[in-house]
Amino acid sequence: MKTLTRHTRKGLITVLILAISPATNTLQAADWPTGDEIAQRINARDEGEAVSRNLTMEMIDRRGKKRVRETRGFRKYYGDEKRSVIFYQQPKNVKDTAFMTYDYPQADVDDDQWLYLPAMRKVRRISASDRGDYFLGTDFTYEDIKLESKVSIADYTRKTTGEDEVDGHHCYVVEALPVDDETAKELGYSRVEQCVDDAIWMVRRSRFWDTRGKLLKTIHTRGIRQVQGIWTQHHLEVENHKTSHRTVFTFSEVDYVKGVHDGVFTQKAIRRGL
Amino acid sequence: MLTRKKAALLLLGGVLSGPVQSAEFDFSGIARGQWAVNTEDGSSQAFELALEPELVSRFDNGWKLTAIGRLRAETVDGLRPGDVNRDSYSQASQPGLVGQELEAELREFYLEGDLGEHYLTLGKQQVVWGKADGLKVLDVVNPQSFREFILEDFDNSRIPLWMVNVEHPLGNWDAQFIWIPDQTYHALPKRDATYAFSSPQRVPSAPPGVTVDVRDIERPQRFFADSDAGIRLSTFYKGWDITLNYLYQYSNFPVLFQRLVMSPTGPVAVIEPRYERTHVIGGTFSNAFGEWVVRGELGYFSDQFFLTDNASDADGIVESPELSYVLGFDWTGIEDTFLSAQLFQSRVTDSPTGLVRDELDTNLTFLARRDYHNDTLQAEVLWIVSMNHGDGLLRPKLVYEWQDNVKTWVGADIFYGDRDGLFGQFSDNDRIVIGVELGY
Repeated sequence: MKTLTRHTRKGLITVLILAISPATNTLQAADWPTGDEIAQRINARDEGEAVSRNLTMEMIDRRGKKRVRETRGFRKYYGDEKRSVIFYQQPKNVKDTAFMTYDYPQADVDDDQWLYLPAMRKVRRISASDRGDYFLGTDFTYEDIKLESKVSIADYTRKTTGEDEVDGHHCYVVEALPVDDETAKELGYSRVEQCVDDAIWMVRRSRFWDTRGKLLKTIHTRGIRQVQGIWTQHHLEVENHKTSHRTVFTFSEVDYVKGVHDGVFTQKAIRRGL
Repeated sequence: MLTRKKAALLLLGGVLSGPVQSAEFDFSGIARGQWAVNTEDGSSQAFELALEPELVSRFDNGWKLTAIGRLRAETVDGLRPGDVNRDSYSQASQPGLVGQELEAELREFYLEGDLGEHYLTLGKQQVVWGKADGLKVLDVVNPQSFREFILEDFDNSRIPLWMVNVEHPLGNWDAQFIWIPDQTYHALPKRDATYAFSSPQRVPSAPPGVTVDVRDIERPQRFFADSDAGIRLSTFYKGWDITLNYLYQYSNFPVLFQRLVMSPTGPVAVIEPRYERTHVIGGTFSNAFGEWVVRGELGYFSDQFFLTDNASDADGIVESPELSYVLGFDWTGIEDTFLSAQLFQSRVTDSPTGLVRDELDTNLTFLARRDYHNDTLQAEVLWIVSMNHGDGLLRPKLVYEWQDNVKTWVGADIFYGDRDGLFGQFSDNDRIVIGVELGY
């Protein structure tokens, strides 16, 4: 038998590795839930019919200068329709500002949104197509705020690309691409990568690329724990890699049990304030 | 004898004296300074300091009491609080004046809360109707101060009134009833003030050699019979925000009735200002379509009074209904950018003889605003243009939020065009403004 040279043996090993690796990946990929299955599991997770909570928003610029807003928010489902409202309570220059959204389940129906600005003393109708715009000075877009811990099924095509670990929790990595250029432009993202904790089906980390393909921002979700039996995020940190601006959302006094009065989701309620 | 102010306080006290056990208090406020320099001659046009404390008390029965005060000092002659006619205020609403420079005012003082299905707001307050920015059609419930023409923010220039404001659901509609016994009207600058009206559309001009004698304003006096009242119905239907409005009020501008008398020294034009009643019937709408928001309002004023130059007219005033409307479009198709355009028109419907103003008056407004650096810096330009006289007002402004509670601004107010126009009359008042506001 002809002895294999060292060089030939190395070559064969390389060929074997190359031959086996795709098979292994294919086996693993076959075990992974698809991107759509993961998205459905995320959206099927119980969020409670209604919730009330405090939200502290910290906005920190690249020099470390911090602005802080104290707010109180409410959200309630009416079938598949979701209504939410945020009342600003501090500081004085934004106090009594309120933002309300009616989010309809039909993909072809625009949400309805209103903003109350105390300096104008008027409830102002605002366009819901600005979903890629940043929400009142934060690094979250209006769309990020609306989705909370859910994901948009209609706006993206998804595939599971791997596994990872975030803060010690096993995650599936899901790549989401906007369904078309128009949607990408509206959202401000050309690609999103989400690490989804498969034990509780919550996104623990999201990375967003802008429409030019450059890494735009990362959202890191921490402080996930159960409140009244519902997995709840308590700490969201987003860093904009282009501007080095950061926003930290901290939720407190989260309550799913007390219920939320329907009258909170009205124009007169955001005019009157809390 | 019980004064009206005391009666109102007793009424508020009565509501509070029910099941209230305890209250939470929230104290905050704003300190603001603004300096304006006239660009024509480099002189100071305004140097104002204002302090606005606010106390909100929340009671354990769900009711809330809000008190907002304002202490304002203005040192530059022509814009001082004492340079505004004070006889348009009712006794209950008139700000206190220390000298000509310092003004102390209880801006708002109201108690609000649920009473069964009703939501009551009782006391001195602002009620804002309408959807327009910059100019007004239905936002006439509260009068305003024209001390700085329309340059001051409406929230500051609007004059809060003592009123009863009751809101009640009616099926898919919400009804708001207001009753306003407070007989306070627009506060107009004195004749030699910086922003005194001189446009012939507003002020009658005497022929050469005729002296002018302006009499005191004839004010409505009767507490109930001369009060204003109104109702607004509002609903949200298939994406549309809709309101129907009705107001029975005294128009906030006095009508300047004139007569010519002969005196031993020669002819005298006697001007007798008087407030006149009108019905206001109208409505508003708004909706969003993609990147666009469309909004509008319409108001029919049944009895309006206008200056006439018809020599045979007995009092220099003609009466006609007036139909006013605004149609506005907002566009947010560019990130962090807000563009808005509005068309305002008002028509004097009865075509009276010798009408000084045009029968159809048209104004356009354009607003461009852009936010930078996570909304810490805002740049905007507002342009208001009168199509009838070609005059207008241009207002570029930069606002920077230094910290949570500190913001500064620099801007300009540029009037141009025909001096007979509402904006052109202030062509000598162009100014650069810098200001700072501190919240606490």
